[in-house]
Amino acid sequence: MHDILRRAEPLTSPVPASPRGFGRLTLDVRQNLPPWKQAVFVGSSLILGLAISVAILALAGIPPLTLASELAGVLTAENLRGVLIQAAPLILVGLGASVAFRIGFWNLGIEGQMIFGGIFAAAISIYDIGPPATRLILMGMAAALGGALWVLLVVFLKLRFRVNEIIATLLLNYVAMYFLFHLLYGAWQDAKTAFPQSTPFRPFERLTDIGYGVNSGLLIAIAGVLAAGWLIHLSRIGFYTRFISANPRMAKVVGVPVQTATIWIIAISGACSGLAGFVNVASQEGRLTQSYANGYVFSGVLIAFLSRNDPIVVAIVAFLIAVLFITGQTLQVFYQIPFTMVQMIEAIIVMAVASSEFLIRHRIRWIR
Amino acid sequence: MIDFLVNWLANTPVTAAPYALAALGLIIAERSGVLNLTAEGLMLVGALAGAGTCLALGGYPALALVAAMVAASAVSLLFAVLVVVLRINQVIAGLSVVFFCQGFTGLVGTLAKWQNKQLTGLPPLKIWPLSEIPGIGRILFQQDPIVYLTILIFFAVNFLLFRTMLGLRIRSVGENPGAADAAGVSVTLHRIFAIVAGSSLIGLAGGYISVVSVKLWVTGMTGGRGWIAVALVVFARWAPWPALAGALLFGCIEALIPQIAAAGIRVPQYLMLMTPYLATIAVMIWVGTKDSGITQEPGALGQPHVREERR
Repeated sequence: MHDILRRAEPLTSPVPASPRGFGRLTLDVRQNLPPWKQAVFVGSSLILGLAISVAILALAGIPPLTLASELAGVLTAENLRGVLIQAAPLILVGLGASVAFRIGFWNLGIEGQMIFGGIFAAAISIYDIGPPATRLILMGMAAALGGALWVLLVVFLKLRFRVNEIIATLLLNYVAMYFLFHLLYGAWQDAKTAFPQSTPFRPFERLTDIGYGVNSGLLIAIAGVLAAGWLIHLSRIGFYTRFISANPRMAKVVGVPVQTATIWIIAISGACSGLAGFVNVASQEGRLTQSYANGYVFSGVLIAFLSRNDPIVVAIVAFLIAVLFITGQTLQVFYQIPFTMVQMIEAIIVMAVASSEFLIRHRIRWIR
Repeated sequence: MIDFLVNWLANTPVTAAPYALAALGLIIAERSGVLNLTAEGLMLVGALAGAGTCLALGGYPALALVAAMVAASAVSLLFAVLVVVLRINQVIAGLSVVFFCQGFTGLVGTLAKWQNKQLTGLPPLKIWPLSEIPGIGRILFQQDPIVYLTILIFFAVNFLLFRTMLGLRIRSVGENPGAADAAGVSVTLHRIFAIVAGSSLIGLAGGYISVVSVKLWVTGMTGGRGWIAVALVVFARWAPWPALAGALLFGCIEALIPQIAAAGIRVPQYLMLMTPYLATIAVMIWVGTKDSGITQEPGALGQPHVREERR
C-alpha cells in the first residue's frame, strides 16, 4: 500500500530527455481556457486566414490597397442595397445548414434544394396558378416544399438503405443542376431569347423593395431567423433535437420520437434552402437562370460553422459573407478574377478557424 | 450493332481509369483511418497541374502526369496537417480542401489562361500482334499506356497494403490507432504517408482526365467524379479489386453517353448526363440492402488519435 503511494507518479509524467538533443514537441490537454483566451485564438486564426487570402489575391494581381478600396466601395450606401439583397439567400442557406447540422445531418445538398425551390416557384408562375394577390405567398410555399421534398429523398435513402447523406446530397446537386438545364434548354426556355432562361416573372411575382432600399426578400430571411430561433431554442422539437444530438439511444429509450423529429428538422432545413432559391430567382434574377444556386453549398457550411449553428449569429455572419460575395462580383467584373475565388477564401477561413479549436483544447510545447 | 458495342467497350477503359485510380488512392488513405473526402478537389489540382505543365512545356504528357501527382500530393499535405496534426473534424477538413481546390484551380487556370487550350495527349500503345485481333484487339490492346499502368498500380498497391510491413502498419493504424501506438507504430507518420501516397494516385487520375482523356483544361472539369470515387470506396468495402470492378461499371456508364448521341439515338441530353450520379446512388442503395457480412471498413475510420487523450 505504502509502496504504491510512494511510487504514485505525477499526473504529467516527466519526459525523458531526447537522445538526439533536438528536443521534441509534446501535447498537453487543456482543461478550461477562459472565454476571452478562446476568443483571442479564434480571432487571431481568423485574421491569419484573411491575411493568407489577401496574400493570394495580391499574387493574383489585386494589391491590398485596391482590395481595401473595393471593400470600402461595397459598403457605401448605394452598394449596401446589393449586399442586403445578397444577404437574404445567404441567411436562409445558413439557417438550413445549421438546423441540419444540429441533428448531425450533413446537408450538403443546399444547391440542389435551392434549384428545386426555384423550379417549384417558377412552375407556379409559368402555369399561372392562383390569383395575383396571393401569388408570391404561393410561390414561396411551393419553393419551401420543393426544397423539403428534394432533401427528404435523401432522408428516405439514409433511414431505409443507410445511404451516406454526404455523398447522396452532393450527387443530387448534379442531378438537380442537369434537371434545371433540361428545363431551361427545353420546355421552359424563353422563346424570345436564345439564352437558357425562363420567361421573366410578372411584376406581382417579384420580390420588390419595401423602402429604404431594403428588399422584401430580406424580410423573409429575418422571419426565418426568428422562426429558426424559436424552433431551436424554445420549441418542443428543438428540445428533442438537443436530446437526440447529445445521446440518440437515450433519447429513444425515454420515448423521444427520434425518427419523426429527425425527419421534421431535416425537412425544415431543405425548406430553408428552397426558400433561398425562391428569394434568389424572385428578387435578383426575376426568372429562372442557369446559375442562381452556384456557390451556396460551402457558404451554408461556412455560415453554420462560424455561427456555431445559432440563428442570430447566422444573420450576422451571412451579412459578412454577402459583403464577400459582392466584392467577389466586383473583382470578377473589373479585374477578371473568377467568382470561385469567393469559395477559396471561404475554405481558407473554415480551415483557419477549425485549426484554432485544436489550439484551444491543447497546448503544444517544445521540450528539450 | 457490333460497331456500337466495340466503340463503347473500347472507350470504357479511358473513362474507368480515373475512377479506379482515385478510388484506389482514397482506399490507401482510408485504410489508415482517415475519412478522405478530398478526391474531387485533388483531382482538379492534378488536372490543372497536368494541363499547365503540358501547355508550359509544349508537350511531354508523361512529365505532365508526374507533375499532376506531385501537385496533388503537395496539396494533400495541407489536408494531412489539418486532420492528422491538428485533428480537425475530417468531414469539415475534407470539404474545405475540396472547395479550396475548386476556387484555387479556377483562379490559377483563368489567370494563367490555360482554359480551353488543346493538349497533345498520349498516343495509344498497340500491343502487337494482339492489337490486330478484330474487336477484342481494339478493346483490350490498343489503349493508352496509363490504362495498362493502372492495372500494374493495382497489383503494386495490393501488394503494399497486404504483403508488406508498411501496409500492415498502415492498416493497424486505421483499425486501432491506440494499440498501434502502444506497439511503437507512429500513427501520425503513417497516416500522413497514406494520405500523401494515396493523393498522388488521385492527382494522376485528375491529370489523366485533362491530359489524356479530354485533352483540355476547363474550370471544374472533374464534374463530381471525385464524389463518385468516394462512393466507389464504400461500394468496394475498402478493398482494391472490387474498386477496380466498380470503376469499370461506372466507366461503362460514362462511356455509353457519348456513344448513344453518336449513334443518333434521340434522348434528352441533360437527363442522360444525370445517369452516372443516379447510378452511384443506385449502387449505394444496393450496398445498403445487402446484408453487411464481410466489410473491411477500417475500425477507426474518421477518428482522430491523440495519445494524450486516451482513456
